[in-house]
This record gives sequence, C-alpha cells and structure tokens, in this order.
Amino acid sequence: MRTVLHILILATAFIGQAAAQQPRKDMVLNGDAQCTRCHNEGDEYPVLAIAKTKHGTMADARTPTCTSCHGASETHVNRPANATERPKPDRTFGKHSKTPMAERSGACLSCHQGSKRMEWQMSAHATRDVACSSCHKIHSGFDPVRDKSTQTDTCFTCHKEQRVQMNRPVHHPVLEGKMACSSCHNVHGGFPKQLVRASVTETCFTCHMEKRGPFVHNHPPVQEDCAICHQPHGTTIPSMLKARPPFLCQECHSHTSHPSQAGALPNGRTVTNSLLGSVARGCLNCHTNIHGSNSTQNSATSGRFRR
Amino acid sequence: MKKLAFPFSAVSLALAGAAQAQEVDPAIAELTKPESAVSVGLGYWSKDRPRLGTYDGMNQNGAYGLLDAFINTRDERTGTWFILDARNLGLETRELRAEWLRQGNFGVFAEYSRTPRDEPYTVFTGVQGIGTQTQRVPTPSATNLGEVHLGTMREAIGAGFSKILGGGYDFRFSMKSEDKTGDRLWGRGGAPEFAAEPIDSNQRQMEGILAFVGKTFQIQGGYYGSWYTNHNSLVDTANINAAGVTSNPFFLSLPLDNQAHQLFVNGGYNLSERTRATFNVAYTHATQNEQIPVGAGVATFAGAPTHLDGRLDTTLLQAGLTSRATNDFSWLASLRYYDSNEKTPQVRVVQTAATCGTCVDNTPLRFETITGRLEGTYRMAQGMSVLGGIEHARQDRDVPFGNANAGGLDAQRYVPWRAQIDETTYRAELRRSLAETVNGRIAYSFSQRDGSEFTPAAADAPQANLINPIHIADRDRNKIKLMLDWTVIEPLTLTFNVEYAKDEYGHSDSRPYGLRDGTASVFSLDGAYSISEKWQLSAWYTHDNTKANQFGQRNANAGAGEAVKEAHLEDTGDTFGAGLRGLILPKLRAGFDLLYSKNVNRYPETVTLTGAGTLFPSAAGVSAVGPLPDITNTVTRIKLHAAYAVQKTSEVRVEYTHEIWKTDDWSWMFANGTTFTYGTTTDGTQVSQAPKQTADWLAVRYIYRFQ
Repeated sequence: MRTVLHILILATAFIGQAAAQQPRKDMVLNGDAQCTRCHNEGDEYPVLAIAKTKHGTMADARTPTCTSCHGASETHVNRPANATERPKPDRTFGKHSKTPMAERSGACLSCHQGSKRMEWQMSAHATRDVACSSCHKIHSGFDPVRDKSTQTDTCFTCHKEQRVQMNRPVHHPVLEGKMACSSCHNVHGGFPKQLVRASVTETCFTCHMEKRGPFVHNHPPVQEDCAICHQPHGTTIPSMLKARPPFLCQECHSHTSHPSQAGALPNGRTVTNSLLGSVARGCLNCHTNIHGSNSTQNSATSGRFRR
Repeated sequence: MKKLAFPFSAVSLALAGAAQAQEVDPAIAELTKPESAVSVGLGYWSKDRPRLGTYDGMNQNGAYGLLDAFINTRDERTGTWFILDARNLGLETRELRAEWLRQGNFGVFAEYSRTPRDEPYTVFTGVQGIGTQTQRVPTPSATNLGEVHLGTMREAIGAGFSKILGGGYDFRFSMKSEDKTGDRLWGRGGAPEFAAEPIDSNQRQMEGILAFVGKTFQIQGGYYGSWYTNHNSLVDTANINAAGVTSNPFFLSLPLDNQAHQLFVNGGYNLSERTRATFNVAYTHATQNEQIPVGAGVATFAGAPTHLDGRLDTTLLQAGLTSRATNDFSWLASLRYYDSNEKTPQVRVVQTAATCGTCVDNTPLRFETITGRLEGTYRMAQGMSVLGGIEHARQDRDVPFGNANAGGLDAQRYVPWRAQIDETTYRAELRRSLAETVNGRIAYSFSQRDGSEFTPAAADAPQANLINPIHIADRDRNKIKLMLDWTVIEPLTLTFNVEYAKDEYGHSDSRPYGLRDGTASVFSLDGAYSISEKWQLSAWYTHDNTKANQFGQRNANAGAGEAVKEAHLEDTGDTFGAGLRGLILPKLRAGFDLLYSKNVNRYPETVTLTGAGTLFPSAAGVSAVGPLPDITNTVTRIKLHAAYAVQKTSEVRVEYTHEIWKTDDWSWMFANGTTFTYGTTTDGTQVSQAPKQTADWLAVRYIYRFQ
C-alpha cells in the first residue's frame, strides 16, 4: 500500500512538473501567451475582448498576433535591469502615445491597405495626423464608429460644426440611425471632401438618382454641385436649403420683374408672383421642378421649370 | 494604475494551463466569445410630434412595439460567423441584415430596410387625386377641406457576396434595390396652386469589384451600375368646378428613367518603405432616353424631341504620391482631372412662332476641373509639427448656349457665365504638444478664386448681367481654426474649438450685385469628467454664427421704382448638450442626457428707391417690404434611462424622454399670422405646422444577452 502511495505521489509530482514546464497557452490570439501573462481584463489596458472580433478569429490564419501591431517590444517584455520603469511596447496607440501617427496607421495598413483605404495616405485625416486608432476601438467587442447608430459620437469629437447642424430640425436621418457619416463620406479616401464617390453630385445620386437627368431643361447648379443650394448636414430651412427663397435664388438671379422682389409676407391670399417669393415654397411655388424639367410643352415657361 | 473589478485571475489562468483542458474556461469564454442580445419592449409617445418625428417612424402619439435583436455567433473551429442584426422591428424604420461569413474564405449577406419621411406640415386640401397622376384643383376654392398625410417611404432590399480567391485576390459583389413611394409638397407650376408630387419609383445599384492586395501593391477594379425607374412620368393638373368641368390644364413633367454604368480601377504601389504612389481612374456613361410624355391636347413644337437621347459621360483621372522623405519631413503631391461632359444632342424644344421669337433649346453642360495639390509636413522637436500646402484648381466650363438673338447672344440664358475659373488655396498648420496633457492645433487657409470675363446673358439683360453668381464669382476666403485638447487633471478633459471663416466676393461698378461678403464662426467647448469609477459626466456647448451680406437691384417696371436692395442674412445657433452616466447600485445603472438647441435666423433687408415709383412687391399686398421677421427654432430634449440587472445576462431598462420643439417660422403664414392658403378664387389648400410640439416618451425594455 505504501509503495502504491509513493508511486502516486511520484506520478503526481511528475505530471505537475510536466505541466509547469509546458509553454503557456495562447488565449485569444496566436502567440499572445507572453502578453496575456500580464495583460488581462483587470489591467489598465484590457485586451481580451479583441477575441470577440474578427481580429480574434484564430481559425483565420491571416489574423494578427499582439506583436503584429505592437511590435516585438523586447524591452517591454524583458525589462532592462537599469530601467526604472518598464519601457512601453514598440508601438502604442493610446491618447498619450509617442508613436508617430503614420507608424500607428502603418500597423493597420500592413493588412488593411486595400479596398476603401487604398488612398489613405492622401486623405485629409492622414495628413492631419489622425490615425486609425483615433477613431477605431480594436480591443473591444463593439467598435462604435463602425455602427451607424453610434458613429457620430466619434465623428463629432472633432467635427463640431456638423454636430450642431445635424441637431437642426431639417437634416438627413443620421441621428435617427438610418444613415451614417460614412453613407456619404469615405473617411479613408482621397476624394475631395472625402466623399464616397468622385464628386458631390455622384455621391448624392446614389440615393437621389432622379436628380441625375439629363433633363430636357437642365438647371446647371444641379449638374455641378448640389451643395451650391443645399447644406446636407442640416439647416432650419425646408429641403436643407442654405438660405431661404427668394434670397437663395437671388444669389445667382438678377431680373427686371418678379424674381427681383424683396422679402415680404403677403397680407392675405394671392396668386401674384411678386408676393409669393418668401412664403410657402417661395420661388418654387411656381418653379416647382427646380432640379430639371422634361416638359416639351410649347410654352416659354417650360424652360423655367414650371412644367 | 487603474484596476477594474474582474473575476478573472492569475489563478484561473494557471489552473487552465495546468489542466491543459481543451474546453475554454467559462470565465475566459465570457470575455472572448462574441455576444448576442435580444431586446423586447413597449414605448408610448404622449402626443404627435410631426417635426421631431419626421424620420423615426414615430410621429404620431400612441404605443410602439420595440423589438431589436443582435445575434452574433462564431464557430471557433472554422471561423464561421453568423450575424443577424434586426433593428426597430416594431417601427416603420425597421431593418434587418443577415450575414454568413467564413472568415478568410467567403461571405454572403442580405438586408432589408425602411426609411420613412413623414411630412412635418399639416395639409388640409380640396385637391382631388393626390397620389395619382391626375390631380384636380377646385374652383371656386374648396370650403370642405380634408387632411392629407404626405410623406415618403424608402423600402430597400440588398444582397452581397465576397470571396477570397487566394494569392491576394478577392472578389466582392453587392446589389441594392430601393422602392420609394409616397407624396411630397409640390406645386402646379403653371399657377401658384397646390399639388402633391406622386412618387412611385425604384432605384437599383450593383457593384462588382475584383481586388488584389499585396504588401507593396494593391489594385482593384470593377463595375458600378445604377438604374432609376419612375413609374410615373407626367401629372395632369387642372382646375375643376362643381359640375366636374375642368379648365386651365397644366401638365407637370416628372424625372424619367435613367441609368449609369461606371468602370473603375484604382490602386497603390509602395515605391519604397516611405513612398507610396496611388491612382484612381473611373469612367461613367449615363443615359436618359425615355419617351417624353406629352399631355393630352398639349401643343408641342414640331421639332421637339420625343426622346431626349440624354447622355452624360464623366471621367476621373487621379494620381498621387506621398512620402515620408525623412523621419521629420513628409510630403504629398496629387493631380486630379474630372470631366463632366453632357453629350445630349441639342435640339429645339419650344418655339411659339414661325421664327424664333420665344424659343427654348436644351442646353447640355460640360465642365472639366484639374486640381493640383502639394503639401508638406515638418516635425520638429518638442512635439511640434508644421504643415504647409498649396492647391490650385482650374475649371473649364462650356458656356451653355440655347439660341442666339440678333446680337449673337444667348437669348434664353438668364445668368452670366464664366468659361474658366481658377482657385488657389494656401494652407498652413501648426500642431504642438504643449505639454504631456495639452495638445494644440492652429490651421489657417487662404483661397482666392477668379476667372475669365463673364459671358453675358441676353435674357432679361442688362439686369441679368449685374450679378456675380455665387458659385463662380471672384472670392477671397480666409479660414482659421484653433483646437486645444487639455487634460486638466486625470479625470477631467476639456476641448476648445474655434473656427472662423470670412468670404469676400468680387464686385465692380459694372457688376455690383450678388453676395458681397459673409462670415462663419463656430466656438465650441467640450468637457468630460470622471467623477468616480461609477459616475461620468460630459457636457458641451457650441455657439455658431453665419452672416451673408447680399446686394441686389430692381429696375423700374410696371409702376415699381428702381431700387437697391441690401440684405444682411444671419443665422445664430446656441447648442448645449450634457450627459451623466452612473452606477447607482451594483445592479442599477442610470443615465441622463440633455440637449438644448436654439437657432435664430434674421433677415434684415433694406430697399432703397433710387427712382420714381413704388416699392416691389407693392406695399398694397404686403405688410412691409423688408425686413422679414426673425425666425427662432428651439429644441429641448431631456432623456432619462435606468437599467436594472435582473440577472447577470438580463436587464430591464426604463426610458423617459421629454422633448419640446418651438418655432415661429412664418413660411406657411400670412403677415397677420394666419395660415397660408393657396389661391384666391381657386384651391384653398391650407398648410401649417403647430408652433409648439411637446411630447413625452416612456418605454420599458427587457434585454437578454447571451453568447
């Protein structure tokens, strides 16, 4: 019996020693063992939630290791004897990081340079020292900027003017969660105003295709740039106009007769065009097809968007 | 170092390692497995909220079902995801997306969404046939008006597929079809009477992309097609009397079917570790060649087209080079060519006499823009960097030409035109880390726009040529932006933001009118404060102001005297937001949000008679000729929520919202404040909006989370 007990004790010791000598297991990323021996969810920088994301899908051989993004970080792992504080990893991404922005984004671009990020380096964000990590949360199961219902929280951190415009009564349904800033803007791209398409009109036509024409009677600003008349982030004026008729129209049109009317409210019911430029739909009370008309009626007014 | 309360410990790690278990430790799984959630509830709005409920599908008072689900699963062995994202299933804004993805291999998705837009104005009308292509406006004016609810609904379905082909190649395909139905505020055009545009259209988009992504070279190319189909094409409007006899017909055209096909390729190549070249090429061919509908009995010019044969080709060529030449200096250069070239054949559409007295041709438009940009950033010691840049854009613009008058000028164009515009922008920016806790940025840009001589318009000349149209006028623009990000103490951060822009538009004695100058300013202060580990407070305030000074002229005509108009338009906004989040009890979280936004539009306008005659419009018909009254809009929204954790995986959430929207907008009012009514002897349609809209929202949700 004693012999058996000795054998059991020896066997347990051997198994225990073998277990102790086993290399530490990776937890969420390939090769993360040497990082997760210190960094876990109790740390100042919780890391494990990355496993909930595409980055943490270990079945995909393309997914990164910790060092893919943070660098080998030798001195961070093995603190030099003469160091009073543990040196930071080679690349850090936090608010107080000393890692240059281009290097921070470079860590992401080593895998994500394709698709919409092809021209990232040309973008206004990149040249203004915005890094990927300025907007994206990597070690989180939920990246707010990639969800249209929460994306504006990130964008409004810098874009204050757009924040107040979006809160005006006439706006695109962004705060209602039906659109996002990224519905119109490719924030990683190199187009002017970082739009998703090559021009303002091409971008607007993705949802407002009826304005594309060509029409029998074109209104040139519609073809050139919707933003000549509209403020797409929001205004207090119906149809997101930049200014109210007749003032908006009078930014281009100077005429002898009713188009040159001053702003005024009519005393009562009227069909006189010189009294209707400010109320109801303003100039559009009559020029109702202002984006273009397809009328071939043999009338001079056909060309003035009234048919 | 901040430590978070967390059950996971080194002990469990050690045990997991020692046990060499194949199963994942439950504590680890909780932290590492994708999460799902289902939310079921009921909400109630106490009153109608036509303005603030324009887009959220809840503009009417009453109860609303609240059902959301986010199912997010991953098979760890194969890396296969199934994601079902269902939002607002109980509302008109409902949407659903399902995705099945084998990561690193292939993926498919399908989606459905609805986007309502409920017209915020209340319409009472006697117009018959709303929603159809035959609308009849009563004459005499209707006295028995009925309410019609205008609005549109976008209903979209989409699907897509992606496949990683190996060797760096992948293919992506997506398509979307969206129906848009409903009615929107419109007008009869021929007379200032009410009509509602009947909307029943579909738009489809399809995109296929083949991409290669390598370490140094990436390229993708593909096809993007879009098709618009309008099930309506022409609206027949007329007056109708009590006996059913119609008069004064006006036929209103609608947008016709159009389509566009785009081929594109873009890519980038890392010339070295520090230098990258990119290019972007796209060619789009758009057409519109539907039969042009003509109303019954409508006279058309013999040569008027039956099909427009409309064609618009756009070409994009873009190339760029960026380099981090040294550790301290980086630069970029880019060149862009964009050509929008309408190639629709020009034909006569209108000619009311044997010779061209009053006639109208279609006027295709072409404009080409070449933009060059050069920018450099130098990084100095002490966290300071300086950016300098220059950008020049030249636009060549065909002058649309309809038909010539005796002097050879375009008799149908009403606006002077420029054949060329040049704009040069200079930028400078200084960024600096002022201390460990303070970062600052100041940016300044100056741009100058001018162009060729104006080609005068002949229609309504000479008055038409006295203006500098806003988008092609000479303009000097100065913009400055300051931003300061300050961590005052560890739990408190403040962000200051100031932006100011000033535009000065060119004018001359011979062309004195149009926008003269304008300014835009924004001041913003944001703060975030962690009161404790359990409570966080944030608040922000923004003041914004825009001004535009606009000059115009009215010549003596029909009894009205010659006059000069001067309008000083101004918008001022003050917006305040605040949020508080906290843990009241271990199982009870709560939050508070406040938004207050006040916006004042001012329209001071003076009209100075410079000759004999009356003001225009005639003082007899209006309360006063300039200035229009100010308009003030305010939004106040208070939101409270509390969530009680019933179990570790479930919670009950209660929400309360109180919102107030107020306006004194006179757009749909007469001078004495009464409701705007269309027509004098005809129509009688009334459009209005409640000047104060107050509503309360109370909702309860049960949320269950699982993995």
